[in-house]
Amino acid sequence: MFSRLSYTFREMWASLRRNFTLTAAAVITAAVSLFILGLTLLVLRGFDNQLSQWSGGVELIVYVENDASPEQLAVIQQAIESTPDVIDVDQLQYLDVEASLVEARRLFAGDPETLQLLTAENIPTQFKVVPQPDASAELLTEIAASYKDRGLPKVIKVAFPSKQIEVLSTLRGVVQFVLYLITLILLFSAVLLIWNTIRTAMFARRREIEVMKLVGATNWFIRVPFMLEGLIQGFVGAVFASGGVLTANWYWTSTVQSFPPDSGFGAFVVTGNYPQWVVFWLMILGMLVGAVGSGTAATKFLDV
Amino acid sequence: MIKLENVTKSYSTEVTALQDASFDVAKAEFVFLVGPSGSGKSTLLRLMNRQEKPEKGEVWVAGRNINDMPDAKVPHLRRNIGNIFQDYKLLPNKTVFENVAFALEVIGRPKHVIRQQVPAVLDLVGLSGKQERFPDQLSGGEQQRVSIARAFVNRPLILLADEPTGNLDPTTGEGIMRLLDRINKTGTTVVMATHDQRIVNMMRKRVIQLDRGIIVRDQARGVYE
Repeated sequence: MFSRLSYTFREMWASLRRNFTLTAAAVITAAVSLFILGLTLLVLRGFDNQLSQWSGGVELIVYVENDASPEQLAVIQQAIESTPDVIDVDQLQYLDVEASLVEARRLFAGDPETLQLLTAENIPTQFKVVPQPDASAELLTEIAASYKDRGLPKVIKVAFPSKQIEVLSTLRGVVQFVLYLITLILLFSAVLLIWNTIRTAMFARRREIEVMKLVGATNWFIRVPFMLEGLIQGFVGAVFASGGVLTANWYWTSTVQSFPPDSGFGAFVVTGNYPQWVVFWLMILGMLVGAVGSGTAATKFLDV
Repeated sequence: MIKLENVTKSYSTEVTALQDASFDVAKAEFVFLVGPSGSGKSTLLRLMNRQEKPEKGEVWVAGRNINDMPDAKVPHLRRNIGNIFQDYKLLPNKTVFENVAFALEVIGRPKHVIRQQVPAVLDLVGLSGKQERFPDQLSGGEQQRVSIARAFVNRPLILLADEPTGNLDPTTGEGIMRLLDRINKTGTTVVMATHDQRIVNMMRKRVIQLDRGIIVRDQARGVYE
């Protein structure tokens, strides 16, 4: 068992060194494709952060001073619910102080100055309003204006950014399509390059493989060092890509934090475990790319 | 040990490499396959270690029909068959010791077995002082001895030799034949394809003669003709 393992690793290492230029090309391609994929995931997460306060069809947010009494809140809610033909009453949602703070922490992750200013004492609470599917934009604008005009108690402002949401959603769709397409093409190139590297490695060792087959080595014994070689190439590519993604994320976060408060970029900062989650999947995908490329080559070119 | 029953093998519709070939080779027998180039000698050897499969007929090795053998079992069959070639097929970046050890290493033999068996077989083929040399530091005859050592190190039941003296001068060739004869006397069956008239006549072993894929003579203690 030990001698087989030592043989496998020795041969894999020798082959990696022998094929250095092709190996480097395969690793770089894998790294670039995985890096772009990692950035794509982070950028899309930024868009999602930005859009999240408007998720679930929310198009109106009524901000209320946080010292509003239950009676005053009831008056506001009653006013909103008074137009059930425009507003979907069942989906009306009220975020109290605690829920508003939780959301603010996510939205202003890249804007610590603003976040610092928001406390349980001063953060506005909010009604998230979902309109009926057939409600027109004009009617909604009218309704939004009426909440203020009617002099509802403690209402600070009514946010109605339907155009911006539409722009942001479209932009997210375009970014997602373009970056996924580039990633897919580059990942396919990485598979092809790894495939070609393994083919070259097998061709360079064709006599050795011929002898191995004649003396009774099993196909798996011959194949494994080559497959491992591809796996390592994919893995090393993923390590470089992950390093790049984490560095880029750190650089972006520190840059956004130096922007003036309410620059609008705060929500585009990705924090928490998400970057680690991205790195984990890049590693898995890198090894998968390596295994697919080398596995198919090692099976196809074993007959020498 | 080896049995062929009505074996036919062709590489295309026009080229029939072997036609309706049948013969038996007993354990510890020494058999020469003779005939001009393209007569089917190498095809016969390739059928015996399952590098090829026949269109018709059956090939039995060590009591097993190897045509029906699943591909996964073929490596185990080959561990009982040593192969020797005209061009030696040594690995140039490995020493004599490593070339021979390679055959044991790739079938998973432990290191202590390798350390014991390789020097013993190198001693048998007369290369015990040259185990650290690389193939390009050896003469043709010595390289063929390394190839024989590699084929024999696992003590196979059968040795298949394809023109093993083809690249050697007559004296060196005779030395190789004496070595193969010694190995044969240990109980190993030897099947050797050759053009070398002088060696066949010198050894006086069983001769199977082929002509355009057909066995035209099977003679005990035969000569080349």
